[in-house]
Amino acid sequence: MSFQFAYLAGLMPNLAVAALVNLRLSAMIIVLALIGGTALTILRSLKIRPVNALIAFLISFIRGTPLLIQIFLFYYVLPAIGLDLSPTVAGVAAIALNSSIFISETMRGALITLDPGQIEAATALSLPRHLVWAKVILPQLFRRVLPVLVNEATIVVKGTALLSVITVVDVLRTAQQIASASYRPFETLIGAALVFLAINLTISLLGRRIEGRFAVQRA
Amino acid sequence: MRMAFDPTILVQYWPLFLQGAWLTIQVSVQAFLLGYTLGIAVALLGLMPGRLPRLAATSYVEVLRAIPFIIILFVIYYGLPFSGLRLPAPLVGTVALGLFASAYYAEIVRAGILALPRGQFESARAIGMSPLQAMRHIVGPQVARAIVPPSTNMTLTMIKESAVLSSITVPELTYQGLVVQGNTFAPFEVFAAVTLIYWGITIAVAGAARRLERRLGVAQARGVSRNRLAASYLLLERERAR
Amino acid sequence: MSIPALKVSGLTKRFRGVTALDSVYLDVARGEVVTLIGPSGCGKSTLLRCLTWLEEPDDGFIEVGGRPFGRTIVGQVVHRQTRREIDALRPKIGLVFQNLNLWPHLSALENVARGPVVVLGRKRAAVEAQARALLARLGLERQMDKHPHELSGGQRQRVAIARTLAMEPELILFDEPTSALDPELVGEVLGLLREIAATGMTMLVVTHEIGFAGGVADRIAFMDQGRIVETGPARAVLDNPTDPRLRAFLGRVLPSSLGVTA
Repeated sequence: MSFQFAYLAGLMPNLAVAALVNLRLSAMIIVLALIGGTALTILRSLKIRPVNALIAFLISFIRGTPLLIQIFLFYYVLPAIGLDLSPTVAGVAAIALNSSIFISETMRGALITLDPGQIEAATALSLPRHLVWAKVILPQLFRRVLPVLVNEATIVVKGTALLSVITVVDVLRTAQQIASASYRPFETLIGAALVFLAINLTISLLGRRIEGRFAVQRA
Repeated sequence: MRMAFDPTILVQYWPLFLQGAWLTIQVSVQAFLLGYTLGIAVALLGLMPGRLPRLAATSYVEVLRAIPFIIILFVIYYGLPFSGLRLPAPLVGTVALGLFASAYYAEIVRAGILALPRGQFESARAIGMSPLQAMRHIVGPQVARAIVPPSTNMTLTMIKESAVLSSITVPELTYQGLVVQGNTFAPFEVFAAVTLIYWGITIAVAGAARRLERRLGVAQARGVSRNRLAASYLLLERERAR
Repeated sequence: MSIPALKVSGLTKRFRGVTALDSVYLDVARGEVVTLIGPSGCGKSTLLRCLTWLEEPDDGFIEVGGRPFGRTIVGQVVHRQTRREIDALRPKIGLVFQNLNLWPHLSALENVARGPVVVLGRKRAAVEAQARALLARLGLERQMDKHPHELSGGQRQRVAIARTLAMEPELILFDEPTSALDPELVGEVLGLLREIAATGMTMLVVTHEIGFAGGVADRIAFMDQGRIVETGPARAVLDNPTDPRLRAFLGRVLPSSLGVTA
């Protein structure tokens, strides 16, 4: 059997529609991870010993184990201790947690590069803590971690493909379903690959353009 | 709903977990060797003069990094039989994992080479060293030291990514976990064990890498080229690969 | 007439339309110290780089101690030497880079010893002993096992010089030896260069330290836009510059360094 480009071309609309699932989930995950990661970073900055110890434990765990296993933990283990989540919710939660940790770690690294003088000035002006964070620290932090966040977005998108393993009907699962009916796995899987290629290359390119604009703004 | 933690299950099935862990390690080592060799080749290709080599290398890297590993794996595993080849799952898995990792290793090696100031090579040539001698004594050792930390990062990522091989029935650790879980319906115990084993493997590898870095004197090599090296290193650290 | 240590004939180098070296002629006699001065961009560094064949000149010939280097001419035919032939002569032409280019992964001792062992094929034990002696003479007895990043700027400078001396060169080229240093150390380095000159070493020094030029150099060559415009005995050139460009240059540069002899 030889590779049929025409068949591949015919598949693309179906796969593109299925890819919307991945995009939607990715968007949710990224938003959750940004909120979670920022919250974690602020929490860590409070320097409460037992809390930071727990967080360090969590970080080591998340960084030391496969994402697939983390997804399985949310999908298989949580029901066993009472929390029954749908595959989609479990998957989104797992990837969001994973991403939050990495975003928090990145922010922590960027935090060190900030000019302490600005923060001192803000505190000297009796600015309440939440405003120091909101007006002084976070804006600068986001500008600095933007390239990493763009990269993290592509990683999240790739992560959603794993959700097909826990029965979420995303583009990969759709491709597999088509393949089992048509006996043309090669073309369908290449199609799925092309979809991800398109999405991630677009994200990277957009990221570079936004980076350029932010760099110009910086005084 | 069972709430009690029953460790006897683990005791009963520990040989399977051990087999799975061992295969995970074997696959990882082989994928690392394949991936790094390929990665170095692609990196050198990308450094050659002319637009075509650079384009080929960049395309290779960008494509392999944009596609989820599970899809790369499936394309090779399900696509291969159609060209006549029917290979065993562990072999396909290892090759796919190595291919995936090679794209990241290629970028790491390339950045390591570019981070080295040209003056290092020139000063070696200026006292009469041949290009080969300059590579062996001056360029090679410095590049090697530069690429160890980001390579460690990527290798840990690769080891974790090996869990995906379970989806093509490679009997590594995750697969064994799913098998035992299917038999015992004790997801908590099973995944606790699997998780701890992965955690242990990554901690061990990270520790070994730190020792290697200390022996190579990674800190010392950053004398002259500090800014450029730090910049590229940081970029690679930020580019958390998966 | 004795063979000059260095003979440069008609050296030309172009970079993308810009002529960096425009038919440069220069002879340096054995034991002579020549300083090369000129405004930035005049081609001084390019000349030094061509003299070690780090850049390949488009035209012209170089002779080191009478031996052709890089290119030979037999009758009317010009031959480019092989890489091996060029590498064989390179140790004879020492080059101390402006940013030194010390090897950070090697100790000071190893920086000095590696060349003779690998390039000249000498036995390690003898080379190490000589390297120790050389470093000691340069005041680095206690720095031998340190790595470059542990050394001060002045110490690194001396290791770089030692590394070149260890190859037993017939002449040494210095590219702006004082530019990377703090002002207090400039005097120290110039003193060191005087000592090396006193041993009879042939030296070609690119520098903007006119004081050095006046105090230690036998001859000064003034370069402008890729050409050696004026050359002559140091004091004569400084006191009575003939070329108007040289006069303008000295006028800009001299008032601060007049009378400063290193």
